[in-house]
Amino acid sequence: MTRSRQFQLTVAFLALATALAPRPAHASVFVLAQVRVTLDSTYGCVSCHSEMRRSFIAGIHSEWGMRCHDCHGGDPGAFEIPAGHRQPFLGTPTKRETVQLCASCHSDPNQMRQYGLPADQLAEFRTSRHGELLLTRGINDGPACTDCHDAHTILPPEDARSDVHPTNISATCATCHDDAEMMAPYGIPVDQFETYRQSAHGTSLYEEGNYAAPTCANCHGSHAALPAPPGEVPNVCGQCHVLVRQEFYAGPHGDATLAGELAGCLACHSQHGTEHIPSDGVQATCRECHESGGPSDAIAGALQETLVQAEQDLEAARRSIEELVLHGRDVTTARLRFRTAQANQLQLELVQHSLDSVRIEDLSRRVRSTSRGIQEMAEVSSERRWEHKLMAIPVWFLALAVVAFSAIKLSVVRRSRD
Amino acid sequence: MVRSALSSIGTALSQTWRAVKASTDASVLATARFLGFLYGPIDRSLPVDQALKKTLNYRLAPHVGWRHSFGGIAYLLFVILVATGVMLVFYYRPSPQEAHASVQHIVSDVAFGWLVRDVHAWSANLIVIALLLHIGRVFLEASYKPPRETNWLIGLLLMVVVFLFGASGYLLPWDQWSYWLVAEITHAMESLPMFGATMAEAVRGDEVVSGATLSRFFALHVVLLPWVAAALLVYHFTLVRRRGIAPPMGVPGDAPKDVVGSGIPFFPDHLLRSLIVSALVIAVVITLAAFFPRPVGDPADISTVPDSLVTTWLLADVARALIRYVGPWLFIALVALLGGLVVLPLFDRRPARQLRDRRIALLLGAGFVLIFAAAWYAGRQMRDTPPSIAVEPRAVAVEPSPISTEPLGPSPIRPAPSADEGGVP
Repeated sequence: MTRSRQFQLTVAFLALATALAPRPAHASVFVLAQVRVTLDSTYGCVSCHSEMRRSFIAGIHSEWGMRCHDCHGGDPGAFEIPAGHRQPFLGTPTKRETVQLCASCHSDPNQMRQYGLPADQLAEFRTSRHGELLLTRGINDGPACTDCHDAHTILPPEDARSDVHPTNISATCATCHDDAEMMAPYGIPVDQFETYRQSAHGTSLYEEGNYAAPTCANCHGSHAALPAPPGEVPNVCGQCHVLVRQEFYAGPHGDATLAGELAGCLACHSQHGTEHIPSDGVQATCRECHESGGPSDAIAGALQETLVQAEQDLEAARRSIEELVLHGRDVTTARLRFRTAQANQLQLELVQHSLDSVRIEDLSRRVRSTSRGIQEMAEVSSERRWEHKLMAIPVWFLALAVVAFSAIKLSVVRRSRD
Repeated sequence: MVRSALSSIGTALSQTWRAVKASTDASVLATARFLGFLYGPIDRSLPVDQALKKTLNYRLAPHVGWRHSFGGIAYLLFVILVATGVMLVFYYRPSPQEAHASVQHIVSDVAFGWLVRDVHAWSANLIVIALLLHIGRVFLEASYKPPRETNWLIGLLLMVVVFLFGASGYLLPWDQWSYWLVAEITHAMESLPMFGATMAEAVRGDEVVSGATLSRFFALHVVLLPWVAAALLVYHFTLVRRRGIAPPMGVPGDAPKDVVGSGIPFFPDHLLRSLIVSALVIAVVITLAAFFPRPVGDPADISTVPDSLVTTWLLADVARALIRYVGPWLFIALVALLGGLVVLPLFDRRPARQLRDRRIALLLGAGFVLIFAAAWYAGRQMRDTPPSIAVEPRAVAVEPSPISTEPLGPSPIRPAPSADEGGVP
């Protein structure tokens, strides 16, 4: 073997040995690169707390290189209990300590900037009822960060396994808010989650899989969770229902809400139930406040009639399109017109919140007119199909003439042959 | 002057006719006979007009009656199907993007397009009934017995071809009903033992019913099957003439040949009878087409399983019932029974033709009629039910997740509340 060959082999061996050599496991805390933490046997904590290892490495903190001692202190390089728990050592932090611990990083914009996270959670938490209970009044019913985000398996809200993912967050709130004993001193009802689940919002989220549907946090806030005062309700709902909010404030009920005389949207729709009032239930809803037989009741009756009529018109148009499809007609135009009618009907549902009778009448007339056009297309098609049936008359006339001629001819031929 | 002009035109026409007659070989009549429009032998030594007269004077066996018209009706419906099919092909476009729209165009915009399309669809139903009645008549009269075994087999093959015609044509409108019925059938095919999956994929040309399936169904329906059917039909007619029409049931032994000089003259008697039957069949088909047009469903959509599956072909109902109620092994047993029907003439070779002498054969036939009728009835009852097939996402191999998904234990940082944690004020 030549000297240069020996040198090459030595270099290769050293490179391999360097690559495979065990490294101190806690050497790279807070590295900015995404590092999977293995927490192998060289890391002292896991030799006793092995059950926590599995839950911790599933979370986002381990993914970014954090280790046990970053929150709990102690010496992970030691393998004996007293040495491992060397001061500063936190052990199991209290709720207040937990908030302090999380805030030590999450309130620091310089640290959070790199992850694209806000650094105002603690400030928000302090304004919330939860923060007030825990931090100001020292009552442990108030949740700490780990009650909603888990202590070790902390996952981003986009992760479907996270407790704060849209499909899970309301249930996470309900772990406390469904607890009658815990809620009793605060006078908070415990049926909110069940009511929400059956509401328009809950149905949209859980049954239709619409992740944009609001959860508890969208209306109450997450870290700054508080119930909205009645006067603010239209603004809370209006974050999504922007146009409804505009129409509502353009009408008399908006004025009453601004004057503090009406609970905004909650006057007609319940807060967690958020039920959709059917068109034929409008007058009954109005009668909950307005006297039956009075001038307001007449307006409510006319509104209900208009809404019901528009729905019926739209339904008739839908059936007409189905009929046209069965007849083999090209329904592209009819479907486009139907969408226009649908848009007008949706607009009508918006405008009813302003009680603007002129616009309501205009929109209902548009729905009726478009729908009538589609129905006429179906009627024309049906008439044509009826005309097709008339064809049977000449066909049978001809066929029977042929039969009669042939039968007579056959009989004549046979008779002459006999 | 006008008279002399007319006279010279007449002379010229008659000269042309004489020239055509002299120069036309009587083989042209053989072609017509080949296609089943003439029956008697063609004397090719005669000029074409005399050869025609001679073949028209041919006499069929005296026992040939109305009951023999089912085969003729099936052939008439086949001719109607070919004619209307050719008309439809002028407008139909066999691609997933255009098929449905082209059917809409045929039905809505093309003059009498609705009639052509619905006559085509109804003829496809009626030909199955006519075929089954024809086969039933042949079966009951024991016409499959020697020397007509081959023709029995050719007839059964023709029945299979007609079924394939219907099955391949059923997908072509490319609407939700046709799409999901074919999806259901090919899905059921997958569960057949051994070659089921391979067969289903070969039929579809894809893992699901797609444009590839539409292309091959169209090619089968319009290019391949017509030639197969024409070849089988020609041979079927040739064998009918060569072996003669089977004798009536009471006559044992070999068949008497059609007799020249006695029996029913082909012209005018047989042709007039055919004319009566044809006029009635055509009137019935047009009436059905006008009164009960086949609806057009929504365009085929692989991602939406329809709530109900409207079936518009007799055998589609039968197929749905078989899929829903019959497992793959029972289906194979059914096919084996059908095989029994195929090989029947090989075993049932006794000269006896009376029903009382053929109890096993009768049992077999009655069994099939019952099963077919029951399956059709059950299939009709399922019209408003959705297809049993659901879109099953194919398993895709993915890298195992690096993140553990095992259930997590209770949070170690929040043990059960103790008294010293503070109470509610």
